[in-house]
Amino acid sequence: MSGVFDYLRLEVRRTLRDVGFVIGGIAMPVMMYLLFTNLGENDPTWRTASMVGMAAYGAVGSALNTGGGVAEDRTVGWLRQLRVTPMTPRQVVAGRALTGSVTVLPAICAVLLAGGLVNGVRLQAWQWAVTALLLWLGSLPFTLLGLGNGYGLTAQTTGVVNMVCNLGLAVLGGLWFPVSLFPHWLRAVSAYTPTHRFADLGLAVTEGHAPAAGAVLVLTAWLLAFGSYAVLSYRRNAGAV
Amino acid sequence: MSFTGAVKAFGAVRAVDGVDLRIGRGETVALLGRNGAGKSTAISLLLGLYAPDAGTVELFGGEPERAVRAGLVGAMLQEARAVPRVTVRELVRFVAGRYPDPLPLQRVLELAGITELAARRVDRLSGGQQQRVRFAVALAGNPSLLVLDEPTAALDVEARRAFWESMRAYARAGRTVLFSTHYLEEADAYADRILVLDRGRIVADGTGEQLRQAAGGSLVAFDLAGRGREGLQLLPGVRAVEVRGDRARLRTDDSDATVVALAGMGAIRNLEVAPASLDDAFLALTADGTERPDSTERPEGTGRPDGTDGSGGARGTDETDEMETV
Repeated sequence: MSGVFDYLRLEVRRTLRDVGFVIGGIAMPVMMYLLFTNLGENDPTWRTASMVGMAAYGAVGSALNTGGGVAEDRTVGWLRQLRVTPMTPRQVVAGRALTGSVTVLPAICAVLLAGGLVNGVRLQAWQWAVTALLLWLGSLPFTLLGLGNGYGLTAQTTGVVNMVCNLGLAVLGGLWFPVSLFPHWLRAVSAYTPTHRFADLGLAVTEGHAPAAGAVLVLTAWLLAFGSYAVLSYRRNAGAV
Repeated sequence: MSFTGAVKAFGAVRAVDGVDLRIGRGETVALLGRNGAGKSTAISLLLGLYAPDAGTVELFGGEPERAVRAGLVGAMLQEARAVPRVTVRELVRFVAGRYPDPLPLQRVLELAGITELAARRVDRLSGGQQQRVRFAVALAGNPSLLVLDEPTAALDVEARRAFWESMRAYARAGRTVLFSTHYLEEADAYADRILVLDRGRIVADGTGEQLRQAAGGSLVAFDLAGRGREGLQLLPGVRAVEVRGDRARLRTDDSDATVVALAGMGAIRNLEVAPASLDDAFLALTADGTERPDSTERPEGTGRPDGTDGSGGARGTDETDEMETV
């Protein structure tokens, strides 16, 4: 078990030293949040909704980044080197998945802090806590999507695919702009995206009620889909790491 | 450690093509071959990174993967690049921590000659420094078997010497070391035993001295002065004939007899007799006929591909069998 823990600690350190991660995964969502809520219209509801949306956007980016790390480690031969140490492949994968779930926290916390401290978003203490918790748990499907990309694709392709997934799902899921601005048909599509339902979790809490069953259901379906994708990718390429 | 009829193919290429061999505990063995001879594939089979398509590979009496999980093996892989965004100390400490009985961190850094680099990031070091870090990673767990795939490729002369000194210090404590190289001098100077790998097969197995003898003890060279090469192959002691321009080079087991016969023929212009070098031995063992179209090779008794005993060659099999196998 200490193997997984030490590996997690090493990988979290490596992630936090990644300038691209710190800027793209933490600073960017905060900046975009402050920008989108302080230019033009400025009602408190949007400030709260955008806070959850941008925290979700940051979490998705950070979660996908874990897959980028895997692809990089495959390329430089670090995963191969791990295979000739006593660590089992299972420990390595577990350590990586845990790394993903730790490295989403800075983005979530940073955007929520910007909401509370800069934009004056007021919520009950339990609402802050539960919003952060749900955003944290709800990022798991995206970590799995990233791992699927990272194990299945080359480092370069992973970078591109992760970016497309990140931006595409963010826009489509209404993390940047409210879906109320979308045309009708797009709004219907948006309801089935994992990102929209991911943000729903946090949004429900800020509005003072539990997430809708629909949100949990759709997100769970994506969890299973991305989980299967990650397992298939890993199995197909396990011999080649 | 043993290979029994091990085969590993990639598409139509049989990178390892029926290798039989045993390595005993405490041996320092060089795996010598040109690029593409199958060295890295053989090492990957040994480490359990690949499963053989046919035959078996055993490490410490079981599957390679089991020995690796038990922490008996440390390896320096060839195609590894620097692990990004991690310091030397963090990396070595992490790897050491995976093994049941690792070496103390300071000792590892000393052996690899990277004590003063401990706080530096691995991806900001020079190629040679990174190579020493990879050596440290292989040593860190204090493994009984150390496997090094072309460990000195990026090192300068001085670093290379320091590296081999460390390797020897490590091997002296009864550990087994297997390293691959395409430098003949390294294999000769630092290994107790040299395995020559060519096109996926072991073509020779023995000490540097045995290899030299197997390839033909001496070289006799002279100017043909216009005469043909006919009959040279039949002279006493001659094993191989090579003609370059007007000069003939005969590889011979009995240089005295060959020279006497040449004198009888009057073919002694610019006559030279020299002991065969390990280079000559290596070329003789791995010649594929395309590089030296003029040569006629007959290296017998060196475990050529058509021979069934890849483990035979210059080294007696009896001797190997008495050893405790790793």
